[in-house]
Amino acid sequence: MIICPNCQHKEISGALFCSQCGAQLVAAASPNSQKDPMTKISSHTKQKTNPKPAPPAEAGGARISLHLVESGQILPLAVRKEFSLGRVAKGQPIMPDIDLTPYKAYENGVSRLHAMLKLVNNQVAIMDLGSSNGTYVNGNRLVPNAVHLLNHGDMIHLGKLKIQILFSPDDKLN
Amino acid sequence: MSKKPDYYTLLGLRRDASPEEIRQAYFRAARRLHPDKTNSVEDTERFLEVQEAYDVLFNPKKRAKYNATLPPEKTERGLIQQKVLYSRQNVPRMKEPQLVYALIEYSATIDSSAPPAPPLNLCLVLDRSTSMQGQNMDVVKATAIQLLRRLRQSDTLSVVTFSDRAETIIPATSNVELKKLEARIQMLQTSGGTEIFQGLETGYHEVRRDLKKSHVNHIILLTDGHTYGDEEQCLELAKDAAEAGIGISGLGIGVEWNDDFLDKLASLTGGSSLYVSRPQDIQHILIEKFNKLWQVYAKESTLEFKLGEGADLRYAFRLQPEVGLLPVESPLRLGPILKDMDLKILMEFMVQPPSRHTENVCLLEGEFKVSISSQPIPVHSVPVRLSRSVVDSARLQTPPGEILKALSHLSLYRLQEQARMEVAAGEYTQASQRLQRLATHLLEQGERGLARTALLEAEHIQSQKKFTREGEKHIKYGTRDLLLPGQEENQP
Repeated sequence: MIICPNCQHKEISGALFCSQCGAQLVAAASPNSQKDPMTKISSHTKQKTNPKPAPPAEAGGARISLHLVESGQILPLAVRKEFSLGRVAKGQPIMPDIDLTPYKAYENGVSRLHAMLKLVNNQVAIMDLGSSNGTYVNGNRLVPNAVHLLNHGDMIHLGKLKIQILFSPDDKLN
Repeated sequence: MSKKPDYYTLLGLRRDASPEEIRQAYFRAARRLHPDKTNSVEDTERFLEVQEAYDVLFNPKKRAKYNATLPPEKTERGLIQQKVLYSRQNVPRMKEPQLVYALIEYSATIDSSAPPAPPLNLCLVLDRSTSMQGQNMDVVKATAIQLLRRLRQSDTLSVVTFSDRAETIIPATSNVELKKLEARIQMLQTSGGTEIFQGLETGYHEVRRDLKKSHVNHIILLTDGHTYGDEEQCLELAKDAAEAGIGISGLGIGVEWNDDFLDKLASLTGGSSLYVSRPQDIQHILIEKFNKLWQVYAKESTLEFKLGEGADLRYAFRLQPEVGLLPVESPLRLGPILKDMDLKILMEFMVQPPSRHTENVCLLEGEFKVSISSQPIPVHSVPVRLSRSVVDSARLQTPPGEILKALSHLSLYRLQEQARMEVAAGEYTQASQRLQRLATHLLEQGERGLARTALLEAEHIQSQKKFTREGEKHIKYGTRDLLLPGQEENQP
């Protein structure tokens, strides 16, 4: 039995890709035979000695991007501990870290300070900042000012603005 | 290879053929090559050779003497080469079932004296139901005429149209009076419903009329609609066609047609199914299909097999030359091997725990058969045996890159399949989540357009409890086409 590190689905031993989420379960044979401890999933025997499945959505050494679904654009985020999401309004001195105005934030009901993305123990989390129209993760409305952990591929709605959260391992960027 | 083929090759026999097999093979060859049947000098020469071969092989004394002069069989080079890659070197002894993937590749050994591609005997079966009116029909007409002009002297093209009933517009005759034929195509009018069986049956008879072993016999069905109630009949016909050596390929235009049905129809005969989202694409897709048929080297390849004990074939997919899901039962019709493109099939096996003393698990055993039309003699079938040795300790194994790459795309196609099943079963939330995951992977692979479609569908499913018809097909064939060879280079 193999357990998918991404979605914890149990796969038949010998599977190379998770049938539930499509994640790759084995390391590829790279020409420079570097060991890659991150992605190697052991078979049955090794699993026993190390029963804990990998923590979900580890963002340590990963980079976060926001995929704006409507416009199809991807915003890679710089490496920081916290980001506020919102929109800049004329005549008001509120400056969110990420201004969503170009993505029709106002029309979609995004508050000026809508939500906060942050790193908690190396995991990415989101917190609603008491926005007027609410923050949703995969369709569930969040309680304001409470931290919610995110997974790769989660869909976030800020009001009606759709954003998909993406983690990409560092090595892919090079 | 410049030498004459040995007597066994000449008759298409194996070295261990029984006298009865030799007799049968001789009769088969003689019937085809007899001077009464053919006017070609080459055939007559071949006929004499075949007689000589029979004379020697059928006599046990002469045969033994002849065998002694032959080089050992190992050095004999087949016309078809088989290569197998496995996802793992061996199978560890475990108390649970395991998966093994095999990538089988067949390539043709073509020497410089390779003859030209075999002639086509082709029937275009065109849907002329009311819904085809307008641009669809115009492009179909223009393309049909274009193809007609490009035919080689030896090719045969027939055209059948259908709505509620079928009509032969151009019967299966060789390329004569081009102008007249063009005019007949120009006159096509749209009206009526879509009854695919009507068209398919008439097309089948046209192809049969000029059926020759040496030709590439194929039916191309163009439709834009659902057929009602005659699916079973169509599938039965496809089985007959496959037996007769006729392939069927389907082009679905727009969003209304039944993709599951067309996929199945094509896969039963080793043909392919193609999705045409916009009318203006009809032309290049159809021409590309023709070009592939003009490149055929070996045709009607078939894998007849039995599964090994405790092994189950869970999934089979043709990666090349045309992508498509295959049925998982014997015989597998795999279609042609092209001159410049090998045939590649990916299989997923589930292996039950081997018994204690087993040292080797057999996944599959059988024969790969193919007919090379330019070769007047039947080709040896290639014995196939897929197996893995059993080892006690499990070691981490890195699967070959080619398998990983194919599976990385195939797993996306399968996510899409599962999402469709979930929608059918009413599990909308799962389906929607699955499509979101699919979108994530698509983005990683740089497929933005497709990713966007997947996300929009995920949402549509949540609100409307179903796919949009357009999105459903777009995702299915979009993910399928990621498996096409050389996809990366083709990216705009």
